[in-house]
Amino acid sequence: MYRRNRIAGLIIAMLLLASVVAAAENRKEFRFRVHRHASISVINQFGPISVKPSSGHEVLITAILHSDKAEIDSSHSGSRVSVSTHLLAGADPDSGLVEYEVSVPADASVSLRSATGPIRAEKLHGDVILEGNTANMDVRDLSDGHVHIKTLDGPVTLTNVSDGHVEITSVGGEVNLISVTGPLVHVNSNSGRIVYVGDFGGGGEYSLMTHTGDIEATAPAYASMDVLASSSQGKVINDFPLQPVHTSLVERAGSAFAGTMGKAASSVKLLSFSGKIHLKKR
Amino acid sequence: MTCKEFQRVLPELEGGHNLEQEQHLKTCSACADLFSDLNAIEQNARRLEDHEPSPRVWTNIEAALRQEGLIRQPQPQLVPTRLPAPRWRFAWLVPIAAGLVFGAGLLVMHWQVSTQIAHQTRTTTPPVENAGITQPSSVPASEDQVIKLVATRAPSMRASYESNFRAVEAYIHDAELAARNNPNDEISQQHLTNAYEQRAMVYEMAMHRALP
Repeated sequence: MYRRNRIAGLIIAMLLLASVVAAAENRKEFRFRVHRHASISVINQFGPISVKPSSGHEVLITAILHSDKAEIDSSHSGSRVSVSTHLLAGADPDSGLVEYEVSVPADASVSLRSATGPIRAEKLHGDVILEGNTANMDVRDLSDGHVHIKTLDGPVTLTNVSDGHVEITSVGGEVNLISVTGPLVHVNSNSGRIVYVGDFGGGGEYSLMTHTGDIEATAPAYASMDVLASSSQGKVINDFPLQPVHTSLVERAGSAFAGTMGKAASSVKLLSFSGKIHLKKR
Repeated sequence: MTCKEFQRVLPELEGGHNLEQEQHLKTCSACADLFSDLNAIEQNARRLEDHEPSPRVWTNIEAALRQEGLIRQPQPQLVPTRLPAPRWRFAWLVPIAAGLVFGAGLLVMHWQVSTQIAHQTRTTTPPVENAGITQPSSVPASEDQVIKLVATRAPSMRASYESNFRAVEAYIHDAELAARNNPNDEISQQHLTNAYEQRAMVYEMAMHRALP
């Protein structure tokens, strides 16, 4: 008898706890029917946004609100879908936190903004635009679409991205590019470090530039590239036996070098004002 | 009726043709083609009568003839047998010209406003030397206003934006100095472009209504 009462009490307590949690977390779901090459925008001040591909022509957005200090505004017109978090008076980064999970057709273009993030996008073929203040941005397995990223201090990681333009602007966030190739790869960083690991393939234009941040590029011995590296006030190290080229750049030992490897299919520029540049051979 | 007989009367067939001529057209494909071509030429010739060559055409013809020595004395400028094009034909140029002038005026005004804004954003405080990289000691007035705006909307982000603006201004300062010392250096120019791009990004993110 005593045992039965105890179990009943535990169940009641668990139910009460679950109801409290459910009240605290409000889950909303949005479904939109779209055509090919849809355009989806998610704006969220505080909290993560995660985007994955879906099958079919439907956009599914699940938003988990952590308090009643935030609302979700949505609009749908044709193949344009827009969802944004609307913070109410008194909201702060904790009470205004909203978590988004988004499924879109693989050919859709997505635009994601979150101050704190993290922001994640994977396995898409459309254009991807990410913007954040301190948000950790993780993009992987993208192809054919253009990638545009803006961050103030959040770290950015791109993995296995190909066949599109990649343009990243960062003030203090570190930028990591792993197996990133395409016709144009352009990173503009201030103090954020740039790390590239790949083969600079595809006959593209690669430009990695910083003000004070270091640049570390690692490529295989078979890389085919026309390299130009220069740091006005920083050190420059090269591990490749480059063929010399005629250039207006004044080669200064330890501060600048230029040359080609293989057939020089890709153009690679590693430029910094005062950061250290190291072109490593894998 | 033979083809020779038909072709002799062909110019007179404009008003119509008799049974014999019609029969010949049905049986002779060559004469039928010829009749069809003449009809087409006649139709197009009527349309050409409305097309008037520009005075430049006559000037070019005169120049060519003079070059070949066919014109030995200065001749008055050839004029077409038709009267000059009435002025109202070129009236359609007036609104286009007005539009161009208006657009040019807008561009000039926009440039002047942009120049004024750029002038106002320059810092007035002297730079601070730091290991060879000079850095402005504070952000320009307009960016200070933006930071204050950020502070009202998201106080926790104020320090971050201050730091970012400071970093960007330092980059602009260094890039401008390098570009001034090496005006033809493409790398310096690219650094300057990048620095301005960063500043524009920080401005945009600070002003964006949805982000703190």
